[in-house]
Amino acid sequence: MPDWLSENWVFIAVPVLVFLACYVVGLWARRIAYRAFSRWAAAGKWEGSPLIVQVTRTPFLVWFLILGAYVAIHISVLDPSTKALVDKVLVALFVISVTWMTISLAEKLLRLYIGKVERLRPSEALIVNIARITIAVVGALILLDAWGAPTTPIILLLAAVILIAIFVSRDLLVNLFSGFQLAQGEQIKVGDFIRLESGESGTVVDVTWRNTRIRSLDGNVILVPNSRLLQSTVINYGHPLKKATQPFRFYARLHLKELTGLKASNLAELLDTLKKVPGSVIYYHTHNFLEEHQYLTPEPANDFALWVSDELGDEVLGEKLASIDTFGFPTIAALRARIVGVIDDYLSKNPDGRTALKGREFHFIRSISVILRTPYVAHDLREFIEVLRKVSIDSLSFHIFEARLRLQKGVNDFSIWMEDCLGDKDLADKLAYLDPYNYTLEGLRSTIIQLVEKRIK
Amino acid sequence: MQNEVSLQSKSRLQDYEPIVGRSCIEELRMLSEQLAGRIVQNINSTFVGGGVAEILEHMVPLLNQLGVDARWDVIRGSDEFFEVTKKFHNALHGNAEKISKQDFALFSEVTQQNLEEVRFYGDILFVHDPQPVGLIARKKEIGRKWVWRCHIDVSNPDRKVWKFLRGFVVDYDAAVFSAPSFAQQLPIRQFMITPSIDPLSDKNRELDSGTIDAVLAGYGLTSDKPMIVQISRFDRLKDPLGVIEAFEMVKKSIDCQLVLAGGTATDDPESEEVLDEVRKRAEGNHDIHILLVPPESNVEINALQRAATIIMQKSLKEGFGLTISEALWKAKPVVAGAVGGIPLQIRNKLTGLLCHTVEGAAYALRQLLSNPEYARQLGQNGKEHVRQNFLITSHLKDYMLMFIALDQPSDIIHL
Repeated sequence: MPDWLSENWVFIAVPVLVFLACYVVGLWARRIAYRAFSRWAAAGKWEGSPLIVQVTRTPFLVWFLILGAYVAIHISVLDPSTKALVDKVLVALFVISVTWMTISLAEKLLRLYIGKVERLRPSEALIVNIARITIAVVGALILLDAWGAPTTPIILLLAAVILIAIFVSRDLLVNLFSGFQLAQGEQIKVGDFIRLESGESGTVVDVTWRNTRIRSLDGNVILVPNSRLLQSTVINYGHPLKKATQPFRFYARLHLKELTGLKASNLAELLDTLKKVPGSVIYYHTHNFLEEHQYLTPEPANDFALWVSDELGDEVLGEKLASIDTFGFPTIAALRARIVGVIDDYLSKNPDGRTALKGREFHFIRSISVILRTPYVAHDLREFIEVLRKVSIDSLSFHIFEARLRLQKGVNDFSIWMEDCLGDKDLADKLAYLDPYNYTLEGLRSTIIQLVEKRIK
Repeated sequence: MQNEVSLQSKSRLQDYEPIVGRSCIEELRMLSEQLAGRIVQNINSTFVGGGVAEILEHMVPLLNQLGVDARWDVIRGSDEFFEVTKKFHNALHGNAEKISKQDFALFSEVTQQNLEEVRFYGDILFVHDPQPVGLIARKKEIGRKWVWRCHIDVSNPDRKVWKFLRGFVVDYDAAVFSAPSFAQQLPIRQFMITPSIDPLSDKNRELDSGTIDAVLAGYGLTSDKPMIVQISRFDRLKDPLGVIEAFEMVKKSIDCQLVLAGGTATDDPESEEVLDEVRKRAEGNHDIHILLVPPESNVEINALQRAATIIMQKSLKEGFGLTISEALWKAKPVVAGAVGGIPLQIRNKLTGLLCHTVEGAAYALRQLLSNPEYARQLGQNGKEHVRQNFLITSHLKDYMLMFIALDQPSDIIHL
């Protein structure tokens, strides 16, 4: 062995020296190149340049080492087949290092730019992964080609896989592109209040690469696919209006009828019983027709007027009772006093009234109100309108009739909120002066919506 | 022995949403949350046949869908027991019945047997009609909330029978009646909950014109002239002869046809007799069609109502008269006798026309036939009235409200 080395030391030393020379040249070239690049980058103030330096610094030197190894092998005395094998290994190392560097650089640059676009942030991981996989696949194909492996079937297979993936995730892609479109056009932004064709409405809380998240008026979050949002008609009311100091919570009032067992056959009995029944009975008989026949013509009569006209055949008193304006009384006690007064006065002048037929007596019924808290809340007038479109007429009845008369607030709940929490006394007064008994309940709903819409235009 | 039934719902709750609106279904769900963890045990006398079984068959599964643990049990009784309760039923309706001391004794004896056999597991015991009313005897021992649901018109009951039953009813926490006139002087709370129709049942669901035409053809009817239809059992209290008389008065000035469709009841020997009288009275008049409709012909009844120009229910006495709501639901103008629960469903001249006499009925028919727009408007109003007040969803709501109100005596309940 020592003899062999003494005879062939030149054939070993020269390739080694060439390899080391390449390493040194590499170190020197890296210093020169990176200085020049740094000066250029400093002039351009491109924020990606430090990333390029950080990512390419090590591979740059590796490439010179690979070059050194390649030259050293080719000037060595190794047999041609060994040289060819080492060439392939070196090419493979080169391709791997370039691929690794490209992946690393793409990842860093993508994260840098995605971080600046708020709407793309939720998609960051997905985009980075797609870039990684694409570069890795290209690198692998080059590597296989360098090793002489047949790449055409693999490319075809990959194409088929990509097509299948596109087909399977076509909705996802459509939503993704729709999301980009939405972001680019700035048609819908976080904070906007929108209403969809389907009737859903709410405030946009997020636009992701797949869905747009809307907080509905009942507090639920609705996920709308971006593609649907682009394809359907959307009313965008823009940013919310002035926020109320306290949100308006909608309640619904359902009522149960409790029979008192009391009945009247003539006016005297009606009068006596009217004086002693609870206020809930008076409320029932002055609002029952309105609620049970809410689709009918406005200004419904109270039950007393209807019974006196229909069953006692006394149209004069019936008319007097029907003309009592319920809206004019702030409390049930005051309303009762008026009804009692009208009958009392009439009876004193017409003591010989008729008696109802058997089975057609007036039955006194008590209204039991059950008040439910709905999930609907309005923070501003826009939300108020949208909720008002949704809630049941039981909710409307509660806030308009029951709150004013039965809960003795003197005015409806909407007016109180508009004045106290929105500071809009003008609108509050308009609603307070609106006589709700002149409308059907659906008509009343439309009228209030129109008033508020006019206000916010 | 325990008799508990397990029911599969025929309709899903969400199927009613297009009919009554989303907010109505939301309110039902909110109410049902208040009853979470409580068992509502319905008790009556039969799983099949009769109005109560029909109501419970729909009601219990829908309550279950809402998350309310509603269950249904029946009591047991001999044929003799049910003969006695049938007499009670008729007597409560105001009919004269011979009820002996032995009958009352048998009722008490069977009640005692059921008290030993029935398992009382409900938090709310909802007892329907007179047959199981005596189960209240167990209240002293087990407590809980007890409600008696009276499905019968007790506006003019036989005093002897009512006095006997009242002895049980006063121990309940509450009683439920279908109309204000059914209320009694009782020391307990009395609620009014009207019966209801199911808009998705065969009797009330929408039908296509092909089905309606096929039914008409099956009965040999044509729609070439206005059709006045009364559908009810052949019973003198439904006044079929009065209907024919009113029709003949109208026919003098307006060309139209009359369809009297109904069945005969096996427990009413008089109905065959009435049918013969009606046939005899209509003899020779080719515009009067007498149709004997078998029981359970729900689609046929639905089709006849939908083919009608005017629907009549000229009853002389009536319970709640739910056939009125069925007719109104088809948006048809209705002429009906102002008796029983009918005025609750028809507000005269607004949702239909009420009459007291044959002449009044003829006048109302003429008005409607001569003024199709007025007739259409009454029909539309009538349908909305039923939608608001007499659909099964309202019934569910009222029951849940009543269960909630049992614990709270005030006029205003905040949940």
